[in-house]
This record gives sequence, structure tokens and C-alpha cells, in this order.
Amino acid sequence: QRFRFCGDLDCPDWVLAEISTLAKISSVKLKLICAQVLRDLLGEAIEYDKILKLTSDAKLESGDVKATIAVLSFILSSAAKHNVDSESLSSELQQLGLPKAEHASGLCRSYEEKQSPLQDRLRACSLRLSQLGSVRWRVDYTLSSSELQEVNEPVVHLTFNVRDRECEKMTAVPVTLSANKFWVLLA
Amino acid sequence: MLLVLSAEHRAHLGCLPRAGGAAVGELGRMALEQLRRGAAPRACESAARKLNITVDIIQHGVEGLVYLLTESSKLMISEVDFQDSINVLGFSDELNKSLLQLYLDNRKEIRSILGELAPRLPSYHSLEWRLDVQLASRSLRQQIKPAVTMKLHLNQNEDQTAQVLQTDPATLLHLIQQLEQALGEMKMNHCRRIVRNMK
Repeated sequence: QRFRFCGDLDCPDWVLAEISTLAKISSVKLKLICAQVLRDLLGEAIEYDKILKLTSDAKLESGDVKATIAVLSFILSSAAKHNVDSESLSSELQQLGLPKAEHASGLCRSYEEKQSPLQDRLRACSLRLSQLGSVRWRVDYTLSSSELQEVNEPVVHLTFNVRDRECEKMTAVPVTLSANKFWVLLA
Repeated sequence: MLLVLSAEHRAHLGCLPRAGGAAVGELGRMALEQLRRGAAPRACESAARKLNITVDIIQHGVEGLVYLLTESSKLMISEVDFQDSINVLGFSDELNKSLLQLYLDNRKEIRSILGELAPRLPSYHSLEWRLDVQLASRSLRQQIKPAVTMKLHLNQNEDQTAQVLQTDPATLLHLIQQLEQALGEMKMNHCRRIVRNMK
């Protein structure tokens, strides 16, 4: 069976298996855990102790807690990735066996609130090789040189500051162009 | 299969009978710690002070034990062979028995540590991908040229490297087809026979 939030593919087996674990947690606590997972997806630090406290009532083992976080992470990021609205997400989660009344609707409400920031964050995280930070320029006028006494030519110095995605380092790439070359670059 | 102990090795282990029964237990423990975490000179010094022997002799003794244990575990020699190998050293029966016990108790753990020391090729960590369409370039306007850009993250002994690759969708499909053929090879009779015999 095809699900939109899985990108029109079958739902992975492990997600199906963990839906029953989600149903064990009360809906109020599920909403709070969702909020924590959304924080993690948006790049802020996740507070694992709070999640442990919230799941202690449902008497989940540590493996189940991690599975819960993984499943919520998958559902929320997948839904944002495929641009699924919260109504469809709710109905699809119910098809998977998540009880409607509180769990599915609570989850979808949390998703709806944070859908745009989540998509922006995913867009920012997309593969990008390098990024232009800034460009600095200077125009000089060469009067004379060791080769020729009267040169009288303008010269353009450019420095491109390139940020490498991986190591967050800025590398400076200096370029010097004569006036003619610079016109070719601009053309 | 018998272990052949060199003269230097035998000299190093020669300190063990002098140390006495309890000390042998201590040295055995230090040898295992050295296997797990690397040399600990401070532990050697404190043991030397406790047992009233010089640090050098303690260190040689521990290293001798480490070598004895790793060689025996590596070759997975039987109890009888181990006993015969250390009989050459001329230790008391009690010492031989405690060495044998040390070997048998820790053989599995030492083998798993040794297993991790083998050299490794870079292994897969993650793959990021991106689908782009080139609409125009400086030389030609109004094109449609799809391209898939991938960044393959590899792990080699805690070193992370990334490799950037770019291909058009047709080549990517061909690549996927070749990889699926490679996986399909596992289901052929030849592979199945070998896997069955290995189990």
C-alpha cells in the first residue's frame, strides 16, 4: 500500500512495527515528545532526559525509547520532505494503526505548526558544495613597471571568500585582472 | 600446535615464579588491561613498589604475558598444547595452572580485540544527493540537462572523507543496474554452494 508521506512508496517495516509502541504512550506525553523531536530536527539540542522522564510511565525499555524517537523523526521529516499536509498525514497514520482521537491528531497538530520551519531547515541542509561568502575588490592604476616605463593601465583585484560546507572554513581566492579581461568577465 | 618461545621471551617470563602466586594474578590483570587499553606505566610502577621488584622486570613480565596470550589466542591452541608450550619454561604446576586459566578465561575477548586490528578499507558512512537541471550556460541558452550530484561520505579508521560525484540520470540507472547484477550474483548456485559450505 502506498503512502504519501513515504514518498508514494510502501511504509518501511520498522515504522509499522513501532506504531504500536507509539500507541502505548499517552497522547499528551506523545505531543511533548514530538516537540522535542522537532527541536532536534530543527537543529537545536534534544533533551534526552526529558524524553526518558516522559516515557517512564509507559514503562518503555531504552531500546523502545530510541525506537520512538527514530519513528517520530522519520514520520515528521518524511512528511515535510514530501510536502504532505497535516490532514493527509493524519489519515495515513490512522491507516497504519495509530489511534485517531488523540495520538494522530496531536502529532499532526505539532507537525502543522512547525511544517514551514522544518522545510526551510531541510532546504538549508540540502547538498551544497561550496558557498560564496563575500567578494572584495580594489582597482589600482599601474603607472610604470620594470618592463615598461609608462604603463598607465587600470588593474582590478578581486578576492572571493568561499565557504566550504564541510569544515565551515573560509578560503580566500584572489584574482587579478586587467581592465579588458574584467570587461570580458562582466559581459 | 606448539608455541615456540624465544630465549628473550623466556627470560622475560622468568620473573613470574619469583613474584609469587598473588603477584601472577596481578600481572595477568595488568596484561589484559594493556591489551584493552594500551600500556600503563603508572600501573607498572605501583605494582613494582607493591611487589618489591624493579619496574623494568615488571614491565618485561607484563609484556611477556601479553605476547604469550596474544600468540596463543591468535592460533587458538588447545589446552594440551598450551600446557606443553609453557612446560618448557620450567614453572611450578600451580603457576602453569594459573597461566592456563588466564588463557582460557580471556581467549575470546583477546580474539575479538585482535579481530579489530585488521586493516580496513574506507567504508560507507552516508550519501547526500541532489537532482539539478541545467537551463542555460554562458555558451548555450535554453537547454534542459538533468544531472545528479552526490556526496559520498566515507569512514576510514575514524577519518571522515567526502567524495563529490556527478552523473546524468542515464549513467546512474546503468550504475544501479550493474550493482543489482552484483547483488543478484549472490543468489546464483555457485555463491549459494560456497555460503552453505562456510556455515
